[in-house]
Amino acid sequence: MGDEARPGRRAEKGRLPAARLLPGSSRTWLGAASVLLALAAWQGVVAAGLVPGDLVPPPTAVWRAFVEILRHGYRDTTLGEDIGATLGRALAGFGLGALLGVPLGLWMGMSRRASAAFGWIVQFMRPLPPLSFLVLLILWLGLGEASKIALLTMTAFPIITSASQAAVRGVPELQIAVARSLGATPRQVFGHVVLPASLPMIFTGLNIALAATFSTVVAAELLAANDGLGWMVLSASKFLRNDIIMVGIVLLGVLGMALSRFLLLLDRRLVHWRGRA
Amino acid sequence: MKTELLWPFTVATAALLFAAWTAASALNLVNPLFLPGPGLLFSSFLDLLLNGYKGYSLPAHIGISLMRVLLGFGSGAIVGTLIGLGMGAAPLFDALAAPFVEFLRPLPQLAYLVLLIVWFGIGETSKIVLLFLTALPVAAIAARDGVRNVPLQRIQAARALGASPAQIFRHVIFPSALPEIFIGARLAVGIVYATLIAAEIIAGSNGIGWLVFDAGRFLRSDYVFVGVLLIGLMGLGLDFALRTIERKVVHWAGK
Amino acid sequence: MSKGKSFDRRTLLAAGIGLGAGAALARGARAATPPEARIGYFVETKPTMIAKSLGWFADAMKTKTVWHEMGTGAEINTGIAAGGLDFGLAIGSSPVAAGIAEGLGYQLIGMVDNIGPAEEMTVRAAANITKPADFIGKKVGTPFGSTSHFRLMGFLAVNHLSQSQVTVLDMSPEQIVAAWKRGDIDAAYVWSPAKAEILADGGKVYETYKELDADGYVIADLIVVRTAFGRRYPDAVAGFLSAYGKALDLYVTDPDKAAGVVAQAAGVSPAVAKSNLAEYDFVSLKDQLTPEWLGPPGHAGKFAAVLHGTAEFLVQQKSIRSAPPLATFAAAIDTSYLAKVVG
Repeated sequence: MGDEARPGRRAEKGRLPAARLLPGSSRTWLGAASVLLALAAWQGVVAAGLVPGDLVPPPTAVWRAFVEILRHGYRDTTLGEDIGATLGRALAGFGLGALLGVPLGLWMGMSRRASAAFGWIVQFMRPLPPLSFLVLLILWLGLGEASKIALLTMTAFPIITSASQAAVRGVPELQIAVARSLGATPRQVFGHVVLPASLPMIFTGLNIALAATFSTVVAAELLAANDGLGWMVLSASKFLRNDIIMVGIVLLGVLGMALSRFLLLLDRRLVHWRGRA
Repeated sequence: MKTELLWPFTVATAALLFAAWTAASALNLVNPLFLPGPGLLFSSFLDLLLNGYKGYSLPAHIGISLMRVLLGFGSGAIVGTLIGLGMGAAPLFDALAAPFVEFLRPLPQLAYLVLLIVWFGIGETSKIVLLFLTALPVAAIAARDGVRNVPLQRIQAARALGASPAQIFRHVIFPSALPEIFIGARLAVGIVYATLIAAEIIAGSNGIGWLVFDAGRFLRSDYVFVGVLLIGLMGLGLDFALRTIERKVVHWAGK
Repeated sequence: MSKGKSFDRRTLLAAGIGLGAGAALARGARAATPPEARIGYFVETKPTMIAKSLGWFADAMKTKTVWHEMGTGAEINTGIAAGGLDFGLAIGSSPVAAGIAEGLGYQLIGMVDNIGPAEEMTVRAAANITKPADFIGKKVGTPFGSTSHFRLMGFLAVNHLSQSQVTVLDMSPEQIVAAWKRGDIDAAYVWSPAKAEILADGGKVYETYKELDADGYVIADLIVVRTAFGRRYPDAVAGFLSAYGKALDLYVTDPDKAAGVVAQAAGVSPAVAKSNLAEYDFVSLKDQLTPEWLGPPGHAGKFAAVLHGTAEFLVQQKSIRSAPPLATFAAAIDTSYLAKVVG
């Protein structure tokens, strides 16, 4: 996020008329049709022998593998356990990153000194791919959950901090000045002007951070893990079970979409004045 | 408003951390395996620079990684932006394409990299395809939002002046969407970069990401740290490069 | 019954109780059982899987076993260094050499096998590779950091080939199989089941192990224990080794039954398990104590030199920073537990 905040931009946009989007129900039907068509094409291509079925499992094989895992689990773990483990790690890392990142970001946004003191650390953490220091984290924090959650926290934290900082900076000076001139104390200015105005961009940051954290959870399950959807995919690849790999991918995709939607829903509910001046 | 000197604060935290680090390693408070000291890091860096690592020079490793990022990001961002522009401009296309884009976007890259390797081998192809698929949905969504957020007044004004739909798109919609497209691009670069490192770890024999992981195998923490620092600097460099391009192209942003 | 006498009797009684208690305490401390034993292992076709799946380790150590599945020996090193593992089961000799060199705090207490021909160079029959020079310009896949990688690097060194002449690619065993099928590589240095699969798919063995073993590039799978754990729970460590010995005995006396158990534990067919098992030289616990291998307690055998040589080679490869002297490796070998088991 950084400095691409343009304070006036959101206020000036008037969203294009609803006619630019198809009505909700048509959109859903068309989307579903599109997906079904793709699945049919996929099944057809494999059935016709154009691609080997063991290399590219057709949707039927993927479904069969899914049912198998649903019933018997995968290598001593039930599907529920794997989903729970992955989800738990992602949410824990994201939550910790938000818990640390939002206050720090807000502070850095309010205080130029804090920004100067800590900004460079956050900026440097951002492009660091988490997987590059997984081994170090395991060395420091052991084989258990701590190292994995630390990895995920390190993914979420810089994104959320930057977004929160940019959000505060993006609050129009005018609003703050007006509040002050009306006699508001610094705390009131923060609580009633800065914080509410910052929420939209903070939520954008949270959304991006959640996506990044979820993407990284598979990487976190690369070493020293014995459950989780990511572990399942990686383990299946060792045994060349491409159908199980696909089950894992589909489940991860659906889970990711669900998390994304959920956060969007929260965004719309809690931050409802978005887009208004 | 008095202007305040801020750099002392940056220097203060930096110096403090550096001092703590140097002291910890000098006093042997931490096993160099866990946290190598600054002196060791510097000599290891020189070692890598002068002697390379397992068959490739350090610049070669860095260069290979950069090439992969640029190829994957470049192709994915361009195709993604085109798709996104289409989604923003044509509601039908949006309805058909949305499920795929929205499924691909949050999908953990490492998960389907495994499949890509099965299909394309562990050479360059699978990695570039992975990076392409990583950049695509991010660029698409950004471009789509950019088109959707074009102020209505501008389109109406253009129409009033008698512009055709194609002209409106080229001269109003596309330029107005550019700032958001660039936001998407910068976001995509970051994600692509992180994905690249993961890809090099799973399926690589060279590249700076692979170097870090291979060094980590036998706990050569000194190389790991040097590599991570280099990765961080490269990432900052990529972001800076994009911002410079953005500034030149989108010079009216903020007005 | 004067006061003096009862005092004496009481004192004697107290002294007796004290001595008895002290003796019991001392015996108890010596026979202390750990609350649990954390073991890093691989899913593989070796007798180790017999003892694991039949619970013999837990029985012999009289404690709960926590199993951490590892992907590579390097992971076991990381696990022990992080304080998360107590035992490393079937960890390769190159990671062990690295671990001892880096002072990771573990002892070598036994061997699982001498690898010998079990890990070998496989070349494409059609590529017509008959001598070392034929490898120039070819692509060879191997899992970096493994004993196979070590042997391959040894092969290049012994034959004065450089990595710019021969392209060495870092691939996991299953990636090697896939790459072989796609025609992406010309040769591979790896173990079964991957080796067996590519041999069956147009590959043939290019023998290197005899020459490399003679040149000192001996590779083996070993058993290590965290030094602090071993000092505190020596009986448990001995129990661990005896459990493995029992599994090895089963394989020697009834290979078919053993193969069946291994097959189930490793998720392969009994036939595959049997043929894989046959490739290894599972050195008996008794032979491990001879100077040929680990040596009797206090007198480290030839294997110390093997580890030392391995470490020095790893330094050349830049995998580790420095190699300590031979004495360090000799000191890291502790066959006292093994001696207790063999008796």
